[in-house]
Amino acid sequence: MSNEHRASNADRNGIVMPQPTAWPITLAFGFMLLMAGLVTNAAVSVLGAILMVAGCVGWFRDVLPHEKHVVIPCEIVEAVPAQTQRAQVKVFDLAPEHARAFLPITYYPISAGIKGGLAGSVAMAVLAVAYGVIKQGSIWYPINLLSAAIYSQSIQFGTESLKTFHLNSFLVACVIHLITSLLVGLLYGAMLPMIPRRPILLGGIIAPILWSGLLYTALGIINPLLDKKIDWLWFVISQFGFGIVAGLVVSRQDKVFTQQNIPFALRAGIEVPGAMRERIGGSSPDEDGRR
Amino acid sequence: MSSETMALSPHAVETQSLAERLHGWATTVDHKRIGVMYIGFALIFLVIGGIEAIIMRIQLALPNNDFVSPQVFNRMFTMHGTTMIFFVAMPIMFGFGNYTVPLLVGTRDMAFPRLNAFSFWLTAFGALLMYFSFVGGFGLYGAGSAPDVGWFAYAPLTSKVFSPGHSSDFWSLGLIVSGFGSIGTSVNMITTIVCSRCPGMTLNKMPLFAWMNIVMSGMVLFAISPLTAAQIMISLDRYLGAHFFDTQAGGSAVIWMHFFWIFGHPEVYILIIPSFGFISEIVPVFSRKPIFGYPIMVGATVAIGFISFSVWAHHMFTVGMNSWGNTFFAITTMAVGVPTGIKIFNWLGTIWGGKIQFKTPMLFSLAFLFQFLIAGLTGIMLSSTPFNWQLSGSYFVVAHFHYVIVGGILFAVFGGFYYWYPKITGKMLSERLGKLHFWLFVIGFHLTFDFMHIPGLLGMPRRIYTYEAGRGWEIWNQIVSVGALFQGVAVLIFVFNMIWSYWKGKDAGCDPWDAWTLEWTTTSPPPEYNFATIPTVHSSRPLWDLKHPEDPDWKYE
Ligand SMILES: [Cu+2]
Repeated sequence: MSNEHRASNADRNGIVMPQPTAWPITLAFGFMLLMAGLVTNAAVSVLGAILMVAGCVGWFRDVLPHEKHVVIPCEIVEAVPAQTQRAQVKVFDLAPEHARAFLPITYYPISAGIKGGLAGSVAMAVLAVAYGVIKQGSIWYPINLLSAAIYSQSIQFGTESLKTFHLNSFLVACVIHLITSLLVGLLYGAMLPMIPRRPILLGGIIAPILWSGLLYTALGIINPLLDKKIDWLWFVISQFGFGIVAGLVVSRQDKVFTQQNIPFALRAGIEVPGAMRERIGGSSPDEDGRR
Repeated sequence: MSSETMALSPHAVETQSLAERLHGWATTVDHKRIGVMYIGFALIFLVIGGIEAIIMRIQLALPNNDFVSPQVFNRMFTMHGTTMIFFVAMPIMFGFGNYTVPLLVGTRDMAFPRLNAFSFWLTAFGALLMYFSFVGGFGLYGAGSAPDVGWFAYAPLTSKVFSPGHSSDFWSLGLIVSGFGSIGTSVNMITTIVCSRCPGMTLNKMPLFAWMNIVMSGMVLFAISPLTAAQIMISLDRYLGAHFFDTQAGGSAVIWMHFFWIFGHPEVYILIIPSFGFISEIVPVFSRKPIFGYPIMVGATVAIGFISFSVWAHHMFTVGMNSWGNTFFAITTMAVGVPTGIKIFNWLGTIWGGKIQFKTPMLFSLAFLFQFLIAGLTGIMLSSTPFNWQLSGSYFVVAHFHYVIVGGILFAVFGGFYYWYPKITGKMLSERLGKLHFWLFVIGFHLTFDFMHIPGLLGMPRRIYTYEAGRGWEIWNQIVSVGALFQGVAVLIFVFNMIWSYWKGKDAGCDPWDAWTLEWTTTSPPPEYNFATIPTVHSSRPLWDLKHPEDPDWKYE
């Protein structure tokens, strides 16, 4: 409350701190007894109420008209100097453009992830619809199946009904497909710089195989109904389609430097007086002098 | 200096009698002592809640077992859940927040020191009131009984018909009392962070732990209020015939579910967000790199804070909402995964290329990252409505949320203990015992909670008292129970480590981890006034600036 007040009172003799007081614990105990009395005995509540009144009065007298203080003698006059065993900073020549760089230095921009995700989503949709036409004779079959993952109406469709158009299922499937594709695309964008070699192999083939294998083993238990209706070969093929296309698109984008040294307000292009200190050149940030 | 002020100096404490010292703790308004009391209180209840869990695991280790009676079993799972959430996890977060936030933001106390003491005592007395039910549950006239309605206390179990005596009342009254304490501390935390930061500490130079605490405190205000309101409604139902949740008289049992879960889901994030704070302080220091993507971390935290208020009905997919309702909550639930995933990437980005030091706090943080990821994935699985229909109310759900709470929150808290114990006590925790604790706990955790998913998938319902042999559940339950014992031993080692190190540990000095935030500029333990001179900061790593005057951060931030 009165931090300025307290800080300004810090003189050579001591520091002013709020005085310890028994009234908060009294008030809390009174409140507990007030409640406890409801299920034990009214006398307990009465005692609780009395303690609460006493607690309130005592507390008010602690802060009104003036907050009660104690002066704590202050023995440490000088702040403890900060020390480190690693005073030497080793300089790596990683990013000559920057005076200083935090790893990772470059990454794919968010837009690369979005583009990759969208491209992958198209590839996957084409493969899925192809599966519908070739194997099931209807483009709606995979769409209805996808929406059944969260939209509970779709899960009740029979085999024939799965092959016809349902607007609700279609909308839900589109939302799932787009969101998931975008998210996986962003994941790629975030992960690819950390993968040292062969990003397409890992992102496009190994990851889909692992993921499909996990789903294949688990779905029989998790959702046997859905499990029966999935053609796993085509499932894996469409995952590959997504992984390879998204991976290719992402890795074709130019990497950008992480904007690590630039304040958020500057990056966002907003002027926030007060939120950041104004600085001219590389001079010391405060003129009131550092200790 | 008068003799009265001398008596308050930290050196004089040693010569005080026990009664004087207890009086000192009871009347203190010092945020550090209140923080320590919060933490100590939570640790006591961690052991109590742990014993309740062990009792359940012994009961379930064998089919057709009758280690305890069904009535006692019901009390155990109710009190275990309630205790661990309200009297362990929340107080421990408030304790660390109380202790470290004023130090981190460079001030001498919380904004409202007396409210701080009041809030702690409310939480403590609320817990005592609830545990008093073990003797007073039938109103002191009978054998006594604790609440047995489950930690989410669905209506109509709490009605007079199904819950005679006072056990449910102790549950709701205890939570009302401690709930007011949570609200008080949250108001205090928000005010402290908004109003008491030291000169130069703009919002974008504030340590992430403070950011996480302000978001968490804001959430507490909006989440605890509906819970407290619902507890008052139960009491009105039980004693004044209000019929809020009485379906026979036009009330609705489902409305209780809504009230409870609009608190219950954000509560998970109330606990995990400060855990994110622990990780965000520990990971950079032990990777010897600043946090990667600070503004994105802040943005993701705030986004989680908002989104997590829109997902509560994913706990209620089986009550029969229509398809659009289910779909809405499925999508919002998956949406929380986005900012959470961003955070995981930022921590990985922080570790990536760093000079990693595998000290105990870092080990717990790394395990956190891995386990929290898996917990998130099973969460995404459960958010899919048809999947949820199969497994709602099964041990799969129990395994999932223990993965979040133990694998995520508790690991982060242990990391926080090893990280800040030197600051709090001035002594280092033993690294050897710490590593033993870590590995035993990791083994126990994975034995228990990895294998707990399987009986869930095989159809074992939660809260079941016992089960028939021959369903294929026995072996998994035995493994789960063995894991619980490992965890129990690990926690005992941890407790021993804290006691032993307090007396025999190495001296910590001001800054044992070569860290960068303000709490390490002052002595360990800090003096009552924290800082003799209020510090001025120029970057989000003020100690780096002091240690490396030739290459300070403020040039680049
Ligand atoms: Cu939830």
